[in-house]
Amino acid sequence: MKIIGLTDKEVESSLRSAGIGMSVAEARSIAKVLNRDPTLTELFCYDAMWSEHCSYKSSRATLKEFMPTEGPNVVLGPQEDAGVVAIDDKWCVVISHESHNHPSQVLPNEGAATGIGGDVRDVNCMGATVVATADPLRFGNPYGPQKNKVRWVAEGVVDGIWQYGNALGVPNLAGDVVFDESFDFNCLVNIVALGIMKKDQIIHSRAPKGAGEKEYDVILIGKPTDASGLGGVTFASEALCEEDEATNRGAVQIPDPFLKNVLFKANDDLFRLVRQEGVEIGFKDLGGGGFTCATSEMGSSAGYGMEIDLDMMHKAGDFPPEVLSIAETQERFLIISPRKLRERILKIYNEDWDLPNVYEGARASVVGKIVTHDRFLAKHKGQIVCDVPIKHLTGGIRYQREEKPRAMSLAEPVVDMPVDMNAVMLKILGSPNIASREYIYRYYDTEVMGNTVIRPGEADAGLIAPVRGEKFGVALAVDSNPFYGRINPYWGGATSVAECLRNVAAIGATPAAITDCLNFGNPEKPEAFWEFREAVKGLSEACKKLWLKGYVNQPIPIVSGNVSFYNECPSGSVAPSPVVACVGTMKDADKAVTMELKAAGDKLFLIGPRYDELGGSEYYKTIFGVTGANVPIVRFELERSMIYAVIDAIDQGLVAACHDISNGGLAATLSEMALTRPAELGLDVDLSNAGGPGMRTDKIMFSESSGFVIEAKARSEAKLAEIIKIYGLEIMEIGSVTKARRILMRNNGSNVVDLDLDEARKVWVEGLAEAMR
Amino acid sequence: MKIAVMQFPGTNCEYECLVSVKEVGMDGEIFRWNRPAAELSVFDGFIVPGGWSYADRIRAGVIASKEPVMDALREEAAKGKPILGICNGFQILVESGLLPGTTCNGKVEMALAQNVMISNKRIVRRGYYVDWVNIKHDAAPRRCSGSFNLSKGELLQIPIAHGEGNLVTMEKSLIQNLNDEGQVVFRYCDSNGRTTPEFPVNVNGSTENIAGICNPEGNVLGMMPHPERAFFAWQLPPHDLRKHQKDAVGTGRRIFESMKRYIEVTA
Repeated sequence: MKIIGLTDKEVESSLRSAGIGMSVAEARSIAKVLNRDPTLTELFCYDAMWSEHCSYKSSRATLKEFMPTEGPNVVLGPQEDAGVVAIDDKWCVVISHESHNHPSQVLPNEGAATGIGGDVRDVNCMGATVVATADPLRFGNPYGPQKNKVRWVAEGVVDGIWQYGNALGVPNLAGDVVFDESFDFNCLVNIVALGIMKKDQIIHSRAPKGAGEKEYDVILIGKPTDASGLGGVTFASEALCEEDEATNRGAVQIPDPFLKNVLFKANDDLFRLVRQEGVEIGFKDLGGGGFTCATSEMGSSAGYGMEIDLDMMHKAGDFPPEVLSIAETQERFLIISPRKLRERILKIYNEDWDLPNVYEGARASVVGKIVTHDRFLAKHKGQIVCDVPIKHLTGGIRYQREEKPRAMSLAEPVVDMPVDMNAVMLKILGSPNIASREYIYRYYDTEVMGNTVIRPGEADAGLIAPVRGEKFGVALAVDSNPFYGRINPYWGGATSVAECLRNVAAIGATPAAITDCLNFGNPEKPEAFWEFREAVKGLSEACKKLWLKGYVNQPIPIVSGNVSFYNECPSGSVAPSPVVACVGTMKDADKAVTMELKAAGDKLFLIGPRYDELGGSEYYKTIFGVTGANVPIVRFELERSMIYAVIDAIDQGLVAACHDISNGGLAATLSEMALTRPAELGLDVDLSNAGGPGMRTDKIMFSESSGFVIEAKARSEAKLAEIIKIYGLEIMEIGSVTKARRILMRNNGSNVVDLDLDEARKVWVEGLAEAMR
Repeated sequence: MKIAVMQFPGTNCEYECLVSVKEVGMDGEIFRWNRPAAELSVFDGFIVPGGWSYADRIRAGVIASKEPVMDALREEAAKGKPILGICNGFQILVESGLLPGTTCNGKVEMALAQNVMISNKRIVRRGYYVDWVNIKHDAAPRRCSGSFNLSKGELLQIPIAHGEGNLVTMEKSLIQNLNDEGQVVFRYCDSNGRTTPEFPVNVNGSTENIAGICNPEGNVLGMMPHPERAFFAWQLPPHDLRKHQKDAVGTGRRIFESMKRYIEVTA
């Protein structure tokens, strides 16, 4: 494509008409380095590799500045496709966290399904068995002006997730759903994938040492390359306009969980083969940026070049070289392996697992070799179509974006306490953001693999016992509150981490690491970039101040993550959404506790005082339609002590049930403990023992200040109080579990809430179904 | 005593089934669909596990049912060896004519159709559904290989996870026939064993709450719920008191123990 000698306007016009998203300045800088006009294929490769999605060009400096990524338990931080954290001396968890927001907005089913499909590949390609997924989802207002579109997107996304995950055979262990108008035109579909493996069996996503000198094979496996997902990463690196939806659908990939299921099993045989032979290989999935991204990164990160023959790829038709290079055809992996294994590797895929007969055109093909020179060189029909310095291609570019606080006028509202608190309570319990998630998770296969100990809906985190013969459990939870993030992105980031850690602690697991998926608007706008920086600061600060249990001043490490910008449309951007996933471990999965009430007569305790900080609360929003200003903050020392105390109390067997306090405050937390199946017991609580002094009853009930409600096992109360005292915390006995099936909350001698359990449960169970149907 | 756990492209419950086989003291291995079918004859029993064989193309189970290994399984079944089909495995056994197995003309007489959840005569939900359910053993003891050890009326708590488990037939006499011959092995019921015809007790709308059936000879059992996921006590839901009891087991274990006992008795 001609660039040298043309005006900016002419270059701009030819870039756009070719479907290339890069700026004119970027195109010129490429021509300068090549010292000639780049070919069309080269420009497409650079466009993909230098996209925001692949290169983190706006975010990298900020991430590096703030985020703690190291720790005594970190085996591999955020450098490759997934992070790796040690469980014990032998076993590790592998975790990856991705977004698939834009594709899910334009084609919800396929977009969400390929989101899962891509993320599980990231974990599998480290050599791990994928054992769980989680799905933090954000949709628009199901009762607002876009309600029909919002429901269409929500339903399609949930369908895409279950259809892919269930067929693949990986249980969905955790997730959350939040509805808010800011997602009307930009849904968020984040996916977390969790794997398990032995520490000494990690396979890296780069060419092994000596690969260039010995000219290792480059082997492409999986689905035949087609034109699907063309320009996916470029599409994800632009704001979304509704008018462009139809044209953007071509950038969404096509999922096939069935082929993936077979590929995973074949990959297991590959891993076994290289272990037997004691050979190191490179292994990577093909995701954003397609073939070019996977090949060039694997060569470049080992300091090698690469020679590719696009004619040797198996493909679904005669596509031009730029399409073969960057199409994001799903269900593909890349192997870099010594020649002596070539025949055996091809046999695994092409004969043992019979890919060509399982899926038309699928197979393993040798497509090139690793070399010692520094070029990324691709041939097509005898012509060299790409010949660029490999480090330049993969190095990307960096931008220092401007930041400016978003101007907002916030104030705490003055509202009268409603008279009928039963009605308030029912309205909150039926709100789409508080109601039971059952309508969704009954679609998800939460049981497959037979590892599941705690399922979605039973507690604040899911738990699996992934290795037979080992007692340890691995917990997973996700969190982020867009309402806090909108008011204050710093505390939005910090509370995401704190709540996620509480979720894991509430079942008795110890937080081991977190991952993040940072969803924001257009970083070229200073307000959006400010929100991003603030959220990263808050999130990082929380990791640094909440410490790994058993260490002092040792941050909770962030081992994997993803940045998704451009979640905006002409009418505005999404609420800042730093979505966090926390993986926790426990030595004995059998000690885990769930949140439903266990026995009449048991005492209920609160830890975590209530503060008047209802900004962004469910109460303000649902009952009064206001947002407020004072969001819950994280009192780091208090938070850390509460989390540690709960973990210790559960470990010592003193806790019958536990639930953390978040959306909907203490009142929702207590109600959920009664409403969760089997829902056979009620509770009787005196709120006067729960508040800060002088707080109004409704604020005690609905303040979302952090904390836990604990049902103590009978005769364990004194011991529980002792542990809580050791951590310098105040324990508040607030009531007891009752045989009467009522939710009873009193204050200063009078009944504030008195609800029949069945009536409350009906509202709570149907709230989400009504919003989704 | 050696069990082949069948593996088709898209099967996804074979590993946990193999764990269950071994836990009750049987030997076993995964048997990939493209292995020579003749190798099946050395096994003493077979499990066709759940999953999405061949991506449920055309109809769940129909393509796998045409595989050469299924011809071999028919021969092994004719020898009286036990076969247990779970979920998609049940669908495959129906499509291959092994169940209900009352005629040999190759005609499929029944189908496992899409779940339809009906409450108060209204459809409240359709399609894929995952939950723990109660099933009642409705066959006589020793009637069927996979429920050999179970007494009539015994309840099992066990999870389901399927989109098509709704047993339907156009053949009016078929259900009567199954009832008369004692081929209905499991029915969905409530925690007291009552087989209310409506959701959530009849979780997928299945005719007469049928959750599992066997062939007339009793050696082939197909069931929608997953016994391998209710094998260990720790897999149970939290409100099941057995979850944390020492030495407690999951009720799904009874299915695998039954298979073992059946092989011992018929050997």
